[in-house]
Amino acid sequence: MTEPVTMAKAINQSLHDALARDESVLIFGEDVGTLGGVFRITDGLQKAFGDDRVFDTPLAESAIIGIAIGLAVRGFKPVPEIQFDGFIYPAFDQIVSHVAKYRNRTGISMPITIRVPFGGHIGAVEHHSESPEAYFTHTAGLKVVAPATPADAYALLQSAINDPDPVVFFEPKSRYYLKETIDPTIEVPIGKARVAREGTGVTVIAYGPTVGVALDAAKAAEKENISLEVIDLRTLSPLDMHGILESVRKTHRAIVVHEAPVFGGLGAEIAARISDEGFDFLEAPVARVGGMDAPYPPARYEKLYLPDVDRILEEADVALAYG
Amino acid sequence: MADQTFKLPDLGEGLTEAQLVAWRVEEGAHVEVNAPLADVETAKAVVVIPSPWAGTIQKLHARPGETVAVGDALVTIAAEGAAASVEPRLAESDDAAPRTLVGYGPGAPEAGVRRRARVAPAAVSGGDDVRAAPFVRQLAREKGVDLSQVTGSGPGGRITRADVEAATSPAGAAPAAPTPSTDGERRISVVGIRKAIARQMVRSVSTIPQFTEFAIFDASALMAARERQKSGGRSMTPLPYFIEALIKAVRAYPLMNSSWDESHDEIVVKQHINVGIAVNTNQGLLVPVLRDADQFDLSTIAERSAHLIGGARAGTLKPGDMTGGTITVTNVGASGPVETGTPIINPPECCVVGFGAIKPRPMVVDGQVVARPGAWISISVDHRIVDGALATEFLTALVRELETIRA
Amino acid sequence: MADVAAVVETDDPVRRLFSADGELSPGARSGLGLHPEALRDLYRKMLLIRRADQEALNLQRQGELGLWGPYQGQEAIHVGVVAALRPDDWIFPSYREFGMGVCRGIDPAQMLTIFRGLTHGAWDPRKYHFAPLVIPVASQVPHAVGFAMGSRFKHSDDVVLTTFGDGATSKGDWHEAMNFAGVFRAPVIFLCQNNHWAISVPLAKQTAGSIAERAQGYGFPGIRIDGNDVLGVLAAVRAAAERARRGQGPYLIEAMTYRLGPHTTSDDPTRYRQQAELEKWSHKDPIPRYRAWLHDQEILDDAALDAINKDVESTVEGMRNRLRATTPPPAGEVIFGRVYDRAPEPFNEERQEFEASLEGN
Repeated sequence: MTEPVTMAKAINQSLHDALARDESVLIFGEDVGTLGGVFRITDGLQKAFGDDRVFDTPLAESAIIGIAIGLAVRGFKPVPEIQFDGFIYPAFDQIVSHVAKYRNRTGISMPITIRVPFGGHIGAVEHHSESPEAYFTHTAGLKVVAPATPADAYALLQSAINDPDPVVFFEPKSRYYLKETIDPTIEVPIGKARVAREGTGVTVIAYGPTVGVALDAAKAAEKENISLEVIDLRTLSPLDMHGILESVRKTHRAIVVHEAPVFGGLGAEIAARISDEGFDFLEAPVARVGGMDAPYPPARYEKLYLPDVDRILEEADVALAYG
Repeated sequence: MADQTFKLPDLGEGLTEAQLVAWRVEEGAHVEVNAPLADVETAKAVVVIPSPWAGTIQKLHARPGETVAVGDALVTIAAEGAAASVEPRLAESDDAAPRTLVGYGPGAPEAGVRRRARVAPAAVSGGDDVRAAPFVRQLAREKGVDLSQVTGSGPGGRITRADVEAATSPAGAAPAAPTPSTDGERRISVVGIRKAIARQMVRSVSTIPQFTEFAIFDASALMAARERQKSGGRSMTPLPYFIEALIKAVRAYPLMNSSWDESHDEIVVKQHINVGIAVNTNQGLLVPVLRDADQFDLSTIAERSAHLIGGARAGTLKPGDMTGGTITVTNVGASGPVETGTPIINPPECCVVGFGAIKPRPMVVDGQVVARPGAWISISVDHRIVDGALATEFLTALVRELETIRA
Repeated sequence: MADVAAVVETDDPVRRLFSADGELSPGARSGLGLHPEALRDLYRKMLLIRRADQEALNLQRQGELGLWGPYQGQEAIHVGVVAALRPDDWIFPSYREFGMGVCRGIDPAQMLTIFRGLTHGAWDPRKYHFAPLVIPVASQVPHAVGFAMGSRFKHSDDVVLTTFGDGATSKGDWHEAMNFAGVFRAPVIFLCQNNHWAISVPLAKQTAGSIAERAQGYGFPGIRIDGNDVLGVLAAVRAAAERARRGQGPYLIEAMTYRLGPHTTSDDPTRYRQQAELEKWSHKDPIPRYRAWLHDQEILDDAALDAINKDVESTVEGMRNRLRATTPPPAGEVIFGRVYDRAPEPFNEERQEFEASLEGN
């Protein structure tokens, strides 16, 4: 594609291409058919592929995932959509007890890609801005992906749908309308991070919605002669520790940034793994910037709750003060 | 026939014991497989235990009313036929055999030994109280720097990467090329020695309440001694004389050779006098240390200090040559019109002594103004350790030593 | 409203086989068209799975199994369901359907390795068209519906049966799955084994209404039948399956039965239910009842009975011996072997590290 496209369109295109390439791919969920999804991600797909391939379901998340399991056993590659991050919890049992464990129990693979718009910054009402990724990275048997750019969203969704294992695919709502030129021939494998910006002073590890904030922080830091390297994880499970450690080996300092609450979040795992596998590289403790240990606040307060440039730079200052 | 002992299994997901309610068999009786042996009551239910083997009851190991732990013997049976041959494969001690769940409950832990020897933990080094981040320790190991000899310039005395680098390379790193000007300013990236000096000086003025006293001394005796040396074929700068005088004064006032221990609120008086010599080099100010200066005579002091200064300027000193000072001397106004200044203490030391240039000065001798060689001395001291009166006594003693140098 | 009503046909092919109180009508019974050998085989299978159940209970008491969930009293359903379906019709069981698995041809000793703590799943479901035992109550029900939707999408004529207990009908998954099945007209049979007890909670405390009648609310028919009559179960499931195969959608069968034993070997039913109730249901035990019927029909004489008994005992003894001789698979394979199809590198590294830690012991 030569024209820049939004992430929303890139995902739509990726779904379209998957449906066209592989007739075992099915897309279903709440409002994904006629309406084309509340974010229009599935716009036009039912029209193009028929309502046996792209269909609306009753309003029941647990059954949406439950039937995906049965369809997978039947030989399909289901791509169910959970409408919002905060609505995934009714499906939690099906995801954790079965999607993640069915193969371990039976030897039958579960090529299911669960798409979930996630994260805040959109001024939404309660339950529409959550970051539940750590529940799923904590579950063996799942792969968890969170792209940050349109090109990655296209390519990683291809990788997820083609993967024989279940993938929870978190789409950063706040970046749905970011535009970029995408090349459908470029493959992005699951499990590989990318360096979003090179730097030497502090490694900032981000994913999904926080990649933009981290890059903004790096720009601001440059004016103060502070050099930040931004790592975009792209895949949250499995973690690309090789990529992370390569950067920390260079900068000796790391900050993990996510919107989810810091307590018990993915940042805790990353910090622990860096101190475990990269202890000798460190000149400062690994810092975490993220949501507070409080429920996601009402929209007018979300900017205070979410990681921002200043909070990243403050942690960078602390890390650099170690020498 | 083979005697098999049936041990009480965990009858219900994590039970640890059961009470024997009643035996349904007697010793000597013959039983078939699955024949009821006993009623036992667990924390969850009363259940019947069926015989796992056909055979003759040899021994009942418990009496009704007794509590039997999971894994303890319940009954011994002289087993017949296939059971006798099958059962030994089920012995708990044979890990390769399919294990029964006997003794599986939480009350019967696996053998209390490590499954496998782990890599031996590295020997814990002595409590050196060195504060340094993992990477700095790693760097110090690689570069052969003894961190206990490095003065930390970071917060709370933490040794930084720059401290180690400074200790490693006396020449230090050249300052980075200035960043091109963008808006009427020019930014110079600060690295290496400049950065180390900056941190050390900030630490000094921000943690040590210091004051300075000044004096002028009559250098006639010192100059006479130099002349004598010179006529003996050995030229010597005034520095060794300063150091020798300083050592004598310090011996009389040992508090000047000490440091303030912030973490314990204690004054640590050093036994040895290690004199740091501030040297201006192309790379910036370096302070090589003349260790155990109090052990040496004048000529050795001269020889070693010359070596240190030369090494500092040539960038050939070893890291250990730059650490462990207990008191520092510096040259203030070696040339030009400057007479003296206020030196800044080199933490964690207590005292720094600045010597000015020796030149003819008007002095009053026996009521007459005469020209004599003289120089300014300034001392800055840590007010936590030393008060003004003591500083004055010390400075007086130092002047006396310098003025009474014997030719 | 007219659209919804049209889904529930007035001429229900299952209901017309049964009396109002859920008993198979005499005409339907004789019209099943089963050969005497097939009728005797139903008896043999019920007896086999009962004896296997009793033996599993013994093996648990002897420390050979960690846990056992007996199904004594519910054999007519286990046997009737499997006999009614085509071998390629999938069954999605709950956790008490050991007998169904045996009827589908899975080696009982192999199935027991789950309860011996050697595996979470002992067979390939694709080989037997028998999904894994599923422990979280009712969570298998949407799987069956999804599978059945897939059959419809593929225009295949196989149907799906999922079975669960009365307690499962309280769960959201059950309702969600019933609703999906109705909306998508999935070829799926919901078979409730109403054994009156969800561990210690009786039916009256589980639900205030009829389970069978709930189907109507989801747009398809339901019926309550005598679940201790193997031929009744067979007839109901067969008729519901044929109906589904014709594209007429799901069906709910509530088979009334009774769990004669404890919930599991960790349970003590004397703490919550009366002996009188147990005795009442013992009289309705499906096995003596069917044996008496076969005897009356002169299909089963003493010699045949004797042969069946011998065959069953030898099968059960074989199960016992094979179970006890099972070699535990290697730990690395059990823990890591089947988690992923395309295992991530860090996962493989953890496995290698673990396996290396076991070497030399």
